[in-house]
Amino acid sequence: MVLKIVLVLVAVLFVFMGMRWLVDPSGIAPEFGFLLGEGLGRSSQIGDFAAFFLTMGLCILLGVVNRQPIWFYPPAMLLLLAAVGRLLAWVLHDAAFAGSMIGFEVGVGLLMLAGSRWLPKSD
Amino acid sequence: MRLTLAVWAVMPSVVLGEAYLLEPDRPNIVFILADDLGYTDIAPYGSEVKTPALAALAEQGIRFGNYHTAANCAPARAMLLTGVNNHLAGVPNIPEMLAPEQRAHRNHQGVLGNNVVTVATLLEDAGYHTYLAGKWHLGATPDKRPNRRGFERTVALMDSGADNWEQKAYLPIYETANWFADGERFELPDDFYSSRFLIDKTIEFIDGNLKDARPFFAYVPFQAVHIPVQAPQLFVDRYMGVYDEGWDALREARRQRAVEIGLIPEQAGMVRMATTGDWASLSAERRRYESKRMAVYAGMIEAMDFHIGRLIDYLKSQGVYENTVFVFTSDNGAEASGPPDPNAFAASMTAGSLGYHNDYDRLGLKGSYNTISPSFASAAVSPLAFHKFYVGEGGLRVPLIVSGEPLQIRPRWTHAFAWATDIAPTLLSIAGVKHPGTRYGGRPVLPMSGRNLLPLLNDEVNRVYGEDDAVGYELTGHSALFQGDYKLVRNGAPAGDGAWHLYNIVSDPGEVIDLKETQAARFQRMLSGYERFVRENGVMPLPQGYTQSGQLVTNFLADRIRTDFVVWLLTVLVLVPFLVAYRLKTGARDRSVSERH
Repeated sequence: MVLKIVLVLVAVLFVFMGMRWLVDPSGIAPEFGFLLGEGLGRSSQIGDFAAFFLTMGLCILLGVVNRQPIWFYPPAMLLLLAAVGRLLAWVLHDAAFAGSMIGFEVGVGLLMLAGSRWLPKSD
Repeated sequence: MRLTLAVWAVMPSVVLGEAYLLEPDRPNIVFILADDLGYTDIAPYGSEVKTPALAALAEQGIRFGNYHTAANCAPARAMLLTGVNNHLAGVPNIPEMLAPEQRAHRNHQGVLGNNVVTVATLLEDAGYHTYLAGKWHLGATPDKRPNRRGFERTVALMDSGADNWEQKAYLPIYETANWFADGERFELPDDFYSSRFLIDKTIEFIDGNLKDARPFFAYVPFQAVHIPVQAPQLFVDRYMGVYDEGWDALREARRQRAVEIGLIPEQAGMVRMATTGDWASLSAERRRYESKRMAVYAGMIEAMDFHIGRLIDYLKSQGVYENTVFVFTSDNGAEASGPPDPNAFAASMTAGSLGYHNDYDRLGLKGSYNTISPSFASAAVSPLAFHKFYVGEGGLRVPLIVSGEPLQIRPRWTHAFAWATDIAPTLLSIAGVKHPGTRYGGRPVLPMSGRNLLPLLNDEVNRVYGEDDAVGYELTGHSALFQGDYKLVRNGAPAGDGAWHLYNIVSDPGEVIDLKETQAARFQRMLSGYERFVRENGVMPLPQGYTQSGQLVTNFLADRIRTDFVVWLLTVLVLVPFLVAYRLKTGARDRSVSERH
């Protein structure tokens, strides 16, 4: 039950962030360490980030509601690959080391895998 | 053959634009705008702050002692750049402080309306290169950015202010410091310090086109000395201990120097503002702290001057200084919004919420949120009364220096009245460019209401406003009308009494002797004149209970709450179907289990 509540809270957070990208992109962009771009760049930023968070949130909710572990794999993959991408950006492309963000992504990614393994499955 | 000649005759005007060929020796123009600089904050106006670059310009040019501008930022900039009254130009106030009721008209949004043409647009049309490096604050949407308002190259701050050391908002109403370069979002370099950076960019812009021999118009609206008041340690150190005698002593010393240099009459009185604190009652620790707050302010002014000097040195090194006109002024009087005690709970919480500190040792450096208190602001505007946001002389009367060899000015003071709308027509006149009048680019525009100051600069006239010419001004109910040597004025709460007063601002710039009883006829005539100004310039009435700071907070919260509400509403709408599906499925499972049992 605790795991289910935590997963739902994470899902709500992701849906909320996705909505912020759609409604208030200039407000949320600085929280990710950059400014909202213009033109095509702005379109990509808003579209891609909103899709990223909404997809994760909706997948978790589908996993909880349907009790099907496969729904937890997309958010787990997205988060863990995002963490890998951040590490490579730091090593190869002179990006800042985003320790707290990597920690969050790895932690929640592992939580997704835990959900897929231990959450009760549908009959 | 005739055709060939005709082609050759037309070619240059097609390629270069017809206007370029009219006057090959048109002067370059550098328009420098300080932010929130007080009447006696620079050395040529009686300050103890060392400003050698501005002093050199002043010694070769004309210093205006009776120049007036708006009481706050964007309205002043609208008038300076268009020559049109700020209410008509769409900027009755900064947008952050406008009440919704005041935004009834499309061109009344606190951003530069499309019913006006900027001096940059007209100069660009006439073949000038036009550059802007600094604070814009006249609209941030793509169609309002300076690259769409006549500036060829820009690096511009869209907000009312920002940090001087990094890309950081200085008020909670902004998410970040919104800088744009040539219309695109721009990230400041790591070694950013505002005054140095803005002059570096100005030099870069000028240098990029210097070889093509076209004149340039460089507009340099500094962040100095707007809050947060920040300066390099080197400049701060020069003023450590200078202000240990306190604000009353400084205000009196500056008044004395203003008399000595001929800025104000010897008999001019001076009031002590109600917002000025008691220096003698402060502890030694607080005095030390207040003295350093002011030292940082002085250091910020000197740093600005230092970088102006760099620009002048560059122009000299390129051989274009001799053909350059300089205009220096401030957008409004000194800011007095800094808390009396920045380490008091509320003030330190506000600074802390933005990630700033108020430590004495690091005051003015990166991460420090420094201001000057209303008490030292009273010295910055000495010997005048009131300050920024008010229409007392301290809020409206600021330095104006016009200099440059092309003008061949007889160096001197002038005490002729001049107004912010006069700058644009003067710049156009210096460049030999005419305003289009009432139509531009296929649409109606407002004609300039400002006066050309060039005849005054050339010593052809003593004044450009006659005894009966009236100039009105209004900001959130604070109201003024200038006519001849007189000023009708009403300052509202909290610093003002809300009553009309009449002063002779030539003999009494400190607004000490109220003449409304002794000159009742003039008082009534000017009241009628003010009503006429309100009608003719579309001054909108204030909503009941309006206050500047209250509206600022209300607008911020309304915007924030509206956004948050929409985000939460959409989130809930997405979640509800899942909740319903979950309840249906768990219900079905429970029924299935109970049926099995």
